[in-house]
Amino acid sequence: MNAIEVKDLKKVYRSNTGEPVRALDGISFLVPQGCVFGLLGPNGAGKSTLVKILTTITSPTSGEATVLGRDVTRSPLEVRRQIAVVLQQTAVESLLTVQDNLLIYAYLHGMGRREAWKRMRSLVEEFDLADKLGETVYDLSIGTKRRVQVAKIFMLDSPVIFLDEATTGMDPFMKRRVMDRIRLEARSGRTVLLTTQVLSEAEQLCDTILIIDRGRTLASGTLQDLRRLSEQMFRVSLSFAGIDGDLVGRLQALNPVELKADGKSVEMLFRGKEASLLGELADISRSVPITHFEIRGADLEEIFMALVKESL
Amino acid sequence: MREIAAVIYRDWRQRITNVGFVFWDLFVPVAYLALFGVGFERALATSFVVDGQSLGYTAYLLPGVIAMTAFSVAMNTAWGFFMDKDSGIFFELLTYPITRRQLLIGKVCFNMLLSVLGAFLAVILGVFVMNIRIRWELLPLTIVIIMATTAGWFFLLSIFAIRLHRMDAFNTFTSAAYIFLMFLSTMFYPLAELPGWFQTVARINPMTWQVDLLRFSLLGTGAPTLMLLEGVAFVVFALVSLAFAVRALDGAA
Repeated sequence: MNAIEVKDLKKVYRSNTGEPVRALDGISFLVPQGCVFGLLGPNGAGKSTLVKILTTITSPTSGEATVLGRDVTRSPLEVRRQIAVVLQQTAVESLLTVQDNLLIYAYLHGMGRREAWKRMRSLVEEFDLADKLGETVYDLSIGTKRRVQVAKIFMLDSPVIFLDEATTGMDPFMKRRVMDRIRLEARSGRTVLLTTQVLSEAEQLCDTILIIDRGRTLASGTLQDLRRLSEQMFRVSLSFAGIDGDLVGRLQALNPVELKADGKSVEMLFRGKEASLLGELADISRSVPITHFEIRGADLEEIFMALVKESL
Repeated sequence: MREIAAVIYRDWRQRITNVGFVFWDLFVPVAYLALFGVGFERALATSFVVDGQSLGYTAYLLPGVIAMTAFSVAMNTAWGFFMDKDSGIFFELLTYPITRRQLLIGKVCFNMLLSVLGAFLAVILGVFVMNIRIRWELLPLTIVIIMATTAGWFFLLSIFAIRLHRMDAFNTFTSAAYIFLMFLSTMFYPLAELPGWFQTVARINPMTWQVDLLRFSLLGTGAPTLMLLEGVAFVVFALVSLAFAVRALDGAA
């Protein structure tokens, strides 16, 4: 059984002006169990709406979605028993202490008092919250509040975890620690669906990625699958002994998608055949020697930007 | 049951970290009785004859003060939804393995206890300081009425707290509603001498039903058949409000 199955999911709501807005327009995908699944897309792509439907906060207009075989519309309570959720917005009980935040979260998920205390004690060490247990969350920094929010989901053993831009606002050390923990959870069989705009995060964490924009699927698959989608896109870095206007003109004539010249270095993004480009660069190097040459495939960010641009 | 207990525990922890709320929940109605009630009675030497019983103004006002406690406790709890929205926990709560109904019922349970505590303080003040004679034998009925009416007001006010996006809109709405509900009811004066339209509006006002029921259980005024009718009407009002509040939570996103 897949952890998450989504079939032709649509969500239409009325905007403030009364116009219908298609937040999701027929999204379909599967998430196998034990997988870290990345949901990527620019602002307004429909990521949070999708997470809200899968976590039973809101209902779809049409289509089907199940979490571990339970339908999110017909059996919302059953779905909620299988999930732990970190929403995009910082969600903490501001007037309560860190300790109460963790314990009450566990109690509200049906955990007994003894087990909740035991888990809280081990978690606060891991998330550097031990010295803040008695502090009211209202008085904590945004990063610490986010830490409390993320720590809460590890109080539970829910088989499916939803993280909607969970690492936003965290310092790099804590971010690394949370990412390590997510990887560990996935290895132990838990399924993680995360949305992020930090593409390097998705690149490091996710087994499978779905890119959406304006409620529609742009691309999906493993990182390698996505790279194959834009295999004719590559980035070239060159350094010269010196750069003049004539050289820049010759490089522009190669029709790069993007060209950035900085001092003696030039960065160019190309879409096309590498072989023909290499020949033309060899010609240039005969008159202006190239001191450094590097060519590499596009990273996720470049693929993502290209797919979003193409969809516009 | 465990889920409801967890929601009660959450609300209790929230309230004890915010003593200001509890103070106003409990203090304002008692202050009304002590200041407004005594001042009005002494200055105007007012007493009313209700159903053949002569009641001093403070005695007449006591059930109204208890109704006021129930309403303000419900209002503050409903306002708590805005606190949940501000701290971002509101939507997260909707992903917890509890039903919308359990969430609302859990939230109201702690507030019922708070209302009963507020009523207890008012009764202590009324009986032991102001020498108001109440029907002790109907105390359990009084407690049931306080709890049920607190729930009814909470469910009604929750609909607006969940549906409205702006806290100032909610505050304006509840303040306006509070004034009309209080003054267009039997809370401060009997209806007999008031204009016909006023009496008609007051008769369909749930605040009148609540005050009449409390006056019946505390002081013995009111015809039992009318009380039964008003009691049933309030229960229907509370259940309809609960249904709408659950619907509001379902459509909150």
